[in-house]
Amino acid sequence: MKKLIKYLKPYWFIAVLSPLLMVGEVTMDLFQPDLMSKIVDEGVIGKNLSLIIETGLLMLLLVVIGGIMGSLCAFTATKAAQSFGNDLRCDVFKRVMSLSIEQTDKFTTGSLVTRLTNDVMMVQEMVAMILRMCIRAPIFFLGGIVFLLKLNTTFSIAVACAMPFLVLALVIILRKATPLFGTVQYKLDKVNSVVQENVTGARVIKAYVREDYENERFYGANSDLKNTTLKVQRLMATLSPIFMIVMNLTIIAIIYFGGLEAQAEAIGPGSIMAAITYATQILMAILMVSNMFQSISRAAASARRILEVLDCEPVIVDGENDTDGVKKENNGDVLISFKDVSFSYPNTTGRPVLHDINLSIKRGQTLAIIGATGSGKTSLVSLIPRFYDVTGGEILFDGIPIKSYKLSELRQRIGFVMQKSELFSDTIAGNIRWGKPDATDAEIVSAANVAQADGFITGFNDGYSTYIAEKGASLSGGQKQRTSIARALVRRPEVIILDDSTSALDLATEARLRVALREELKDTTVIMIAQRIASVQSADLIAVIDNGTIVDCAPHDVLMQRCTAYVDIYNSQMGKGGAENEQ
Amino acid sequence: MNNDRRPIVTAGPGGPGRGGPMGGRMNAQKPKNLGKTVGRLMTYIGKSRLLVIVLLISVLFTTVFDLAGPWLQGEAINTIHFSEIINDDGSISSIFDFVDFELMLKILAAMAVVYVLNSIINYVMGVLSAKLSQATVFSLRNDLFKKISRLPIKYTDTHRHGDIMSRMTNDVENVSNAISQSLSSLFTCIITLLGAGVLMLGISWQMTLIALVTVPLTVLTSTGLAKLMRRYYVKQQRLLGELNSHIEEMVTGYKTVVSYGKEPEQVEKFTRLSGELKKAGIKAGALGGVMGPCMNIIGNLQYLLIAVFGGVFAIRGAFDVGSIQKLLGYSKKFTRPINQIANLYSQILTALAGAERIFEIMDSAVETDEGDTEIDVESIKGYIEFKDIRFGYNPNEPVLKGLNLSVKPGQKIAIVGATGSGKTTIVNLLTRFYDLDGGSITVDGIDINTIPKSTLRKMIAIVLQDTVLFSDTIERNIKYGRLEATDEEMREAARASKADIFIERLPNGYQTMLTESGSNLSQGQRQLLSISRAVLADPKILILDEATSSVDTRTEMHIQQAMVSLMKNRTSLIIAHRLSTIIDADVIVVLKNGVIAEAGNHEELLARKGEYFKLYNTQYAGIAT
Repeated sequence: MKKLIKYLKPYWFIAVLSPLLMVGEVTMDLFQPDLMSKIVDEGVIGKNLSLIIETGLLMLLLVVIGGIMGSLCAFTATKAAQSFGNDLRCDVFKRVMSLSIEQTDKFTTGSLVTRLTNDVMMVQEMVAMILRMCIRAPIFFLGGIVFLLKLNTTFSIAVACAMPFLVLALVIILRKATPLFGTVQYKLDKVNSVVQENVTGARVIKAYVREDYENERFYGANSDLKNTTLKVQRLMATLSPIFMIVMNLTIIAIIYFGGLEAQAEAIGPGSIMAAITYATQILMAILMVSNMFQSISRAAASARRILEVLDCEPVIVDGENDTDGVKKENNGDVLISFKDVSFSYPNTTGRPVLHDINLSIKRGQTLAIIGATGSGKTSLVSLIPRFYDVTGGEILFDGIPIKSYKLSELRQRIGFVMQKSELFSDTIAGNIRWGKPDATDAEIVSAANVAQADGFITGFNDGYSTYIAEKGASLSGGQKQRTSIARALVRRPEVIILDDSTSALDLATEARLRVALREELKDTTVIMIAQRIASVQSADLIAVIDNGTIVDCAPHDVLMQRCTAYVDIYNSQMGKGGAENEQ
Repeated sequence: MNNDRRPIVTAGPGGPGRGGPMGGRMNAQKPKNLGKTVGRLMTYIGKSRLLVIVLLISVLFTTVFDLAGPWLQGEAINTIHFSEIINDDGSISSIFDFVDFELMLKILAAMAVVYVLNSIINYVMGVLSAKLSQATVFSLRNDLFKKISRLPIKYTDTHRHGDIMSRMTNDVENVSNAISQSLSSLFTCIITLLGAGVLMLGISWQMTLIALVTVPLTVLTSTGLAKLMRRYYVKQQRLLGELNSHIEEMVTGYKTVVSYGKEPEQVEKFTRLSGELKKAGIKAGALGGVMGPCMNIIGNLQYLLIAVFGGVFAIRGAFDVGSIQKLLGYSKKFTRPINQIANLYSQILTALAGAERIFEIMDSAVETDEGDTEIDVESIKGYIEFKDIRFGYNPNEPVLKGLNLSVKPGQKIAIVGATGSGKTTIVNLLTRFYDLDGGSITVDGIDINTIPKSTLRKMIAIVLQDTVLFSDTIERNIKYGRLEATDEEMREAARASKADIFIERLPNGYQTMLTESGSNLSQGQRQLLSISRAVLADPKILILDEATSSVDTRTEMHIQQAMVSLMKNRTSLIIAHRLSTIIDADVIVVLKNGVIAEAGNHEELLARKGEYFKLYNTQYAGIAT
């Protein structure tokens, strides 16, 4: 929690001022019953009209002062909490933006989004509440007791007797209820996930005629939720009656003791009336604390989740050396080389995903990677921009180990197009400009041309200014892929990595794209993962991956001669037709 | 008393961002058809009619008891008697006389009884309203879910999933809160308001008027502030939405952000947005925060008015000291409901708007199922005939324009064609996810419109390009195809689809839990699992819609070999981009412009040198040279 308090520090002045103002407001409030008792005991019973009016005016003055203080308190508390929330949110976002891919994988994107939105909001609300309410309750409590003592000591005895009962009841109920709150949330998540799966998987559920099965599954989850919620609510329903009983019995005691004291002519009826008000305020303050406790425990869970993110140090960090200072290994034209690289995903056991990878790619070459499902193709290319770090061996980029580069500098030189294209809500031109913020319109059009995207883009009414909705929902799969290829091309990277990113293109378009790539970007190294032999056969080198390692790496013709795995793939695709066409 | 149960908000993906720190009257959504919605909601509540009646009766009792409190307090204080004496200067003052303890104890005993009874009723009330709200919400949720599971695919295709989700989560939650809190609170408020008013009038109509002075003040201040606040609140909500979607986009697209080194730029944009939100938040929050102290001032003002004027009246002998205590108590009880009702009003409106959104789904047409032909699924041979099929998702854009196709039992039919040519549409029509605009589809000569959908779909198993896996074990995901399948049959299906190799390599094998819709598997592996599921279903007709697009061609070939024996005597329909997938199909159908451009087997089509020949050559360009 200390870490979070730090965020309040820049606003310490208003953060301290706010509770102080609250003390002022509450004190003004506390004077009211006391003054009222004066009106009754001295004014009414003493038949002193001018005293009543004087006291009334004093009360009015205090009310106004209290109101002003209260308003200022509200303002300062809001300002402090909002500023706190803003700083915290920005810091968490900054931290998320510095995490390594393996860490965002671990958190899952969904949970990161909730942490940044709901959780930060919860903590911010908690701060606002603490600044205002956490002072209000104790002051009402303490102030109430002071004023009671001032009225008559017997009253405070009555209140003192009542308190242990209340506190005990509170502690017992809350201790029982708190874990149940968590359970309710958990059951609710379950209900939601069944709904979620049914909405997104509607086709499969219908295709297998599993509506009844799903209904049963939902009924189970729903009953579970209902029963747990009822349990909590039944428990919480005891709280209020217990409070009422204790509070009202205290009032009865106060009236009785008040009667005795009045008999002894120690106090007047006004004091009894004031005492009732104070007692009510004191006991209400305890109830306020219980409500606060509930909100705080809920916010504490959020705070923990935020701290988990803030405490997460990125695993993959900039190289320590300035790349200028590192001696370049002189290896001719080789741009990227893998040396005995092995790799397993973090926190996994068992066979590594990749092992004994040795590979050299020259500047301007095209390397194709082909291999079975799950053989490690995507993992291999993910190592180059350091989405993950190798677990053994090393990778050199332009003669320098990639770990020596500043991450931004390394990634700046690479254009990476993913299997699943991610576009952002912006215009098409804006999305392409991601690759190069200062790209001219001409550069964007030319990149789109190479990516075979210009055709469909100019077909839109707004052309390049067409706005792409959330996650590119308005584009087809192939259009998304071509747009993301254009985005990678516009930066004219030294190496472009295409991770099966032409899979949604029809065959003719893909062929045109390959030709354009080779013609327009002669110096750019191309690394492409593909499934189709037709896509890879013109590559300078084809790496055949099987079971996490490269079984062979050579041009198509050579592989056809000596690599059985490759010939297998070839035959699987060409089938009977392939041979026939080879006239 | 204070039931501070905050609505638990679980925003569905793409669902609306969570509201700001202030709820209350700011974000009251207006229901469109108030009366009807209330009526329908009432029928849900009405299912627990007895509960409602008991609840309302207890509310009545507890309110009466509540009102008795200040009265008894006042009477108890009145047992302290004073006598008037005339001072030397001729003025009158009163001095303490005696305390009527006998009466006081009687009153106190009555108070104790009232309070204990009240607490008991209060407890009963709490439990009952929890029961009522849970029972209502439970059946509301169940009905809604049943409805959702019976919605036509067209509905889920054309509505945002986040929106459907938020109806199930946020809206149901709002209704639940309204029922558990608002219903009894509203009733309490109204009775208290009336009761306190009448009792105050009974003490003194002049004092009542004085106490009521603060009522218009309360109303004016709160509506005035609310109006002011609304402007900033709307702005705050807008900014919050913007910020949340920025977060969502950047976090889900994080890999792209990283590979373009856009982190600093995005942090900067975020800081700017967040700063704007802060500014709007401070303004809205400060105005909202002032509301409390303002109400406090008004409350105190009322307190002091009653104290002062009550004092003056008491001196004049219009009423006694105990009446001041009563008035103080009742005036508080009178103003509080006014404030509460204003809050309840917005809560109820929000809940009704939510209920309306729920009923909107309930009212949308379910999948029609006019079929009643009884068919033994086992005896189906799989002869499919498409006759003059016309269909479009939009009336103005026909996708299929008179398609004719017949598939013989046991045949393997492949459909190829450019994106958007209508390949998947054929699947949608055969499974009756969508209904035809014209023409007919028959299976074994029976029009599919006359077959119950469940029977029709039991004949067919489909594997889609976008795999759907459930967050459950691999075993249960495969057995989804046939719930009663044995473990051996499941393994058999996994073997046939070549999924067994990777499953057995997983540490927990078939018991591996799939997370977040299977994100711990590669796309190709997920496809293999879906195929296992379809194989296990043992269908008469198997449809593979780009089902192996992420599977490498060798594995695919092995699957096909394994399927040959499996699919003997069964009809299969295969849609694929990759021609290698379909080269050995019995019939290859090339779709173009909504009709079949050509059909035949691979050799025939090549010889024809038409559309298929063109496709083939682009795919294998370079090989033939």
